[in-house]
Amino acid sequence: MPENIPFLSLITLMPLLGAIIVLLLPKEQSQWLRITGIVFTVIPLLLAVWLFISYQTSMNAGGFTEQYTWLSIPLNNEYEARASTLSLVFDYHLAVDGISLPLLLLTGIVSTMAALASVFIRKRWKTYYFLFLLLLTGMYGVFLARDLVLFFIFFEITLIPMFFLIGIWGYFGREKAAVKFLIYNGLGSAAMLFAFLILIATLGLSVAEPGAAGPWIFTGNYDVLLQNLTDPGAAANIAESQFSLHVFFTDEMKWTAFILLLVAFGIKIPIFPFHTWMLKVHTEAPPSIVMIHSGILLKMGVYGLIRFGAFLFPQQLSSWSTVLAVLGVINILYGAILACVQKEFKLVLAYSSISHMGIVLLGIASLEEAGLQGAIYQSVSHGLISALLFLIVGSLYERTNTTQLDELGGLARAVPFMSGILLLAGLASLGLPGLSGFVGEFLSFLGLFGSMKWLTAIGVLGMLFAAVYVLRSVLNITYGPMPERFTGMKDARFIEALPMVTLAALIVLLGVYPSILTDLMQHGFDGLLEQLQTRMGG
Amino acid sequence: MSTFFAEYAWLVPLFPLIAFAILTATGRGAKRAGAWIGTAATFLSLVLSICIAVERLSGTSTDYIRQIDWLQVGEMTLTAGFEVTNLTSLMLVVVTLVSFLVNLYSQGYMREDDRISTFFAYVALFTSSMLGLVLSDNLLTFYIFWELVGVCSFLLVGFWYQKPEAKAAAKKAFIVTRIGDLGLFIALLLLFWYMPGNALDFSSIHNVFGTQGGVIATGITTLIALLIFVGAVGKSGQFPLHVWLPDAMEGPTPISALIHAATMVAAGVFLVARTFPVFEASPAAMTTVAIVGAFTAIFAATIGIAQNDIKRILAYSTISQLGYMMLALGVGSVTAAMFHLFTHAFFKALLFLGAGSVIHSVHTQDIREMGGLGSRMKITAWTFGIGALALSGIPPFAGFWSKDAVLTEALNKSPILFIVGVVAAFFTALYMARLYFLVFAGKPRQDGHAHESPPVMTIPLIVLAVLSLFAGFVETPFNGWFGEWLTGETADHHGSGLVMVVSVAVGLLGVYLGWLIYVKGTISRDIVSSRMPGLVMVLERKYYIDELYHLIFVKPLYAAGKLLEAFDEYVVDGAVRLTGRAANALGRLNTRLQNGQVQSYALTALIGIVILLLAIAGRRFW
Repeated sequence: MPENIPFLSLITLMPLLGAIIVLLLPKEQSQWLRITGIVFTVIPLLLAVWLFISYQTSMNAGGFTEQYTWLSIPLNNEYEARASTLSLVFDYHLAVDGISLPLLLLTGIVSTMAALASVFIRKRWKTYYFLFLLLLTGMYGVFLARDLVLFFIFFEITLIPMFFLIGIWGYFGREKAAVKFLIYNGLGSAAMLFAFLILIATLGLSVAEPGAAGPWIFTGNYDVLLQNLTDPGAAANIAESQFSLHVFFTDEMKWTAFILLLVAFGIKIPIFPFHTWMLKVHTEAPPSIVMIHSGILLKMGVYGLIRFGAFLFPQQLSSWSTVLAVLGVINILYGAILACVQKEFKLVLAYSSISHMGIVLLGIASLEEAGLQGAIYQSVSHGLISALLFLIVGSLYERTNTTQLDELGGLARAVPFMSGILLLAGLASLGLPGLSGFVGEFLSFLGLFGSMKWLTAIGVLGMLFAAVYVLRSVLNITYGPMPERFTGMKDARFIEALPMVTLAALIVLLGVYPSILTDLMQHGFDGLLEQLQTRMGG
Repeated sequence: MSTFFAEYAWLVPLFPLIAFAILTATGRGAKRAGAWIGTAATFLSLVLSICIAVERLSGTSTDYIRQIDWLQVGEMTLTAGFEVTNLTSLMLVVVTLVSFLVNLYSQGYMREDDRISTFFAYVALFTSSMLGLVLSDNLLTFYIFWELVGVCSFLLVGFWYQKPEAKAAAKKAFIVTRIGDLGLFIALLLLFWYMPGNALDFSSIHNVFGTQGGVIATGITTLIALLIFVGAVGKSGQFPLHVWLPDAMEGPTPISALIHAATMVAAGVFLVARTFPVFEASPAAMTTVAIVGAFTAIFAATIGIAQNDIKRILAYSTISQLGYMMLALGVGSVTAAMFHLFTHAFFKALLFLGAGSVIHSVHTQDIREMGGLGSRMKITAWTFGIGALALSGIPPFAGFWSKDAVLTEALNKSPILFIVGVVAAFFTALYMARLYFLVFAGKPRQDGHAHESPPVMTIPLIVLAVLSLFAGFVETPFNGWFGEWLTGETADHHGSGLVMVVSVAVGLLGVYLGWLIYVKGTISRDIVSSRMPGLVMVLERKYYIDELYHLIFVKPLYAAGKLLEAFDEYVVDGAVRLTGRAANALGRLNTRLQNGQVQSYALTALIGIVILLLAIAGRRFW
């Protein structure tokens, strides 16, 4: 890959450019707005695919990082009687590795499909596409940023467009849902900010030039944090005499930061009992936005928990691994049992998401290579599956004006194509081998089984309940006699069928040939896991 | 000694898979051309399977294994691969042969259906998955295909999706078998973590549990064996997970023949046979298998007497016969189990296809509404009769020899198991006699003109009838060639005259009794139901197992769901809302304080000072 082209920045900023172009277009030009929206969603996808291909060929060559100093703020030196300067430095630091690349691809694919599915948006196209593209920049940024402050900013960027996208284009209870979403996630962000500040103020202290005595800087650069953690010498070199006021990274401090991060990302994933906000989003947001929400935004929580929770705090995580696994099992069973009794299809899917995210937690709790790979695989797979499911929900709602299970039925006769795809998505969701869901579940359970046999065995029960709620709801919609009112219903149009077939094909591909992603993740975890093992031992 | 054909064994499942892909891509438009694509693909698989089997028979003794990496996790590699052994080559032939005949038969049976190409697509996918399962060289690949055949069965049971019964049956089939699948899944995890080198392939399993022995603790071995068995119980419809199989008869009849009688349900037996060393290493597991098998055999046979739906009688008979196979495995004889599986596949497929031919002709499944069909459907009647005699264990039909082998092995182990098997054999003969005489003998009980089915349907019947006649001769008490070829061990053939006499006697007794009741009328049909109405009721309602499950599983799950729903709404979300309201209320309170009245500000300030003073004073006591 040409070294001089800043791929990562292009991926992140292309949607932003699109958003600006959208602003410049007149608002009546719905066709042009739509085209702009789709084009600037597809470009990052193509770039991400290119990145994926070039990453495979030159895995160890490096060059997948972009770093510039972004902000440098000199700090007040009065307290410290020293010659060298002390400053606060924030970097514009983007990087990609085997852990973020699958999620980057997921973002590209799901967002493109969601852009195509936005045909059902019927008002204020200009604002819609502006917010949509802005949201996209935020999501790409989250998966690429390697500076705490930059990560935080991108994370926050996703909140505001989401707030409006739910609140303006959603269903009847949209405004309440939007407010709940914003406040709940705002709390999570507050916790994250607090944790990040602790990290910057303690772990972030480093020397600007290696080996020199100064100048000293506080930084949010992820690599520096990781370096300071893995090499205890680096932080210890900073003699207490040099910084009388400096706070050191004590165990209490670690625990505080770890728990804050767990709460912050736990809200996003979501972990029981922080899940009620996402039920509202699933039912009230427009389907194209739920595709993004369920498909990508929840995975930001997973990614954050792995990147910042597992890699920065492996000791804390391993001593809490049972707690995390119990939470995961609760998520699985709680979500699954509740999904079995819902009358609204979107709520079935929402609770099913909670259940599936529980499997991700099990994978993380294992702190095993198989489990962590499983967690990410399950995230990608669930992203594709839930995007597909909500795509169909949107198309069904357009035709039937309802998503209540008892008002639907017999659609296999009316819309055989869509019903077939719905059945496929359902089977993928219940973890049928040969489709992507199985691989993620299998790896997660496999990873955890080594250390926690009973909890895994209980978690496996979720696979049974998944069969119950998926078949109950999908068969209710498609099987059975067809009511009169559905006669003459049209099956999927090309613009609807295209994303459906694409997503379905990817789900099959990932189910049959998992190496396409696992090799990548393997590479991403390679060095990191060894570090974790030594740090947990030490 | 060549492995020429074995190297191409992967093509066997591939042909039908390609057919499935073509049929799915062309959709419903393919119509009858689609049917021929499916049939042709299965035919190719059949030819190749026969070539492989002939190659094995001609003296190739080395197993052929080929593996590819499926995915890699750290140091561990999960592989996918196929393996050709005598056992798998036998299964390949059975599956492709029955599948081909069923494909052919369906050309006639499904002719009127406007989704005929979808039907053949599903059948092709099923055939492909089943062949993949048979060829799998390790438990993970096996599990993947295991689930795929399950989903195909689900799709085909619910093929007529507009019927509410089909929808319910499909759902039930999937969920009940999934309970078993979970057992197998956990067994897979256990094996992965306990096997040296995380190996999951069958030959390593054979080595670790068989020849080496003692590597894995007995407790764990028993656990693994029992969990594998749970999977087999689910798939093979053994008690207590048998409830899905009779309901699965809602699917088209050729499917009942292919999936729910001859091939897929036998996968449970095949699984146990494939992982047999694990069972052999655990006496407790072996006993469990034997008891469950024997119990299922007699349990299902008794239900079979009281059913009136022709397909359901055959379904219970399948459950019962699978019980015999499990019994054989439990008493330690893979040969007897596989032999019975082999013969059963032919005569049970024959019976189902014959039943389909009858249903096709009279448009009812209730045997009380049939009668006198023997004269009008000669080929069906003759072939069905052969199947019924084979199932009843009357010599020289195939079922006699294999059942005799099972009973001989049971007697060697325990007389009780033997007696249970013999009693079940009596009931089997009785319900088959009842079925046959009610359908084909006597006077017609319906108007209309029943007619013989077209040749495309009768030819498969004739082929299967011939097989049901002669397939038993591969292994007789006088000739142990089959077992030797299958297991590579020369067993001592103690053909027990006692077993043979007893088993023929009970078979003939059952048939004679059926003849007395249903043809001659010497014994009144109501003799049992008038004296013990309760017993008949219990049998008709299948021992109330469905009702019991509804009471102890379905209802509690639903109740738990409702309870948690309320908890989620009022406790979890209630706490969230309360937090929101509390913040709001606090804000309002503070707004009230900013009322512009100096007195209230002074009061606030005073209260604040008091609190501060108290706090400072209180510090002393900390």
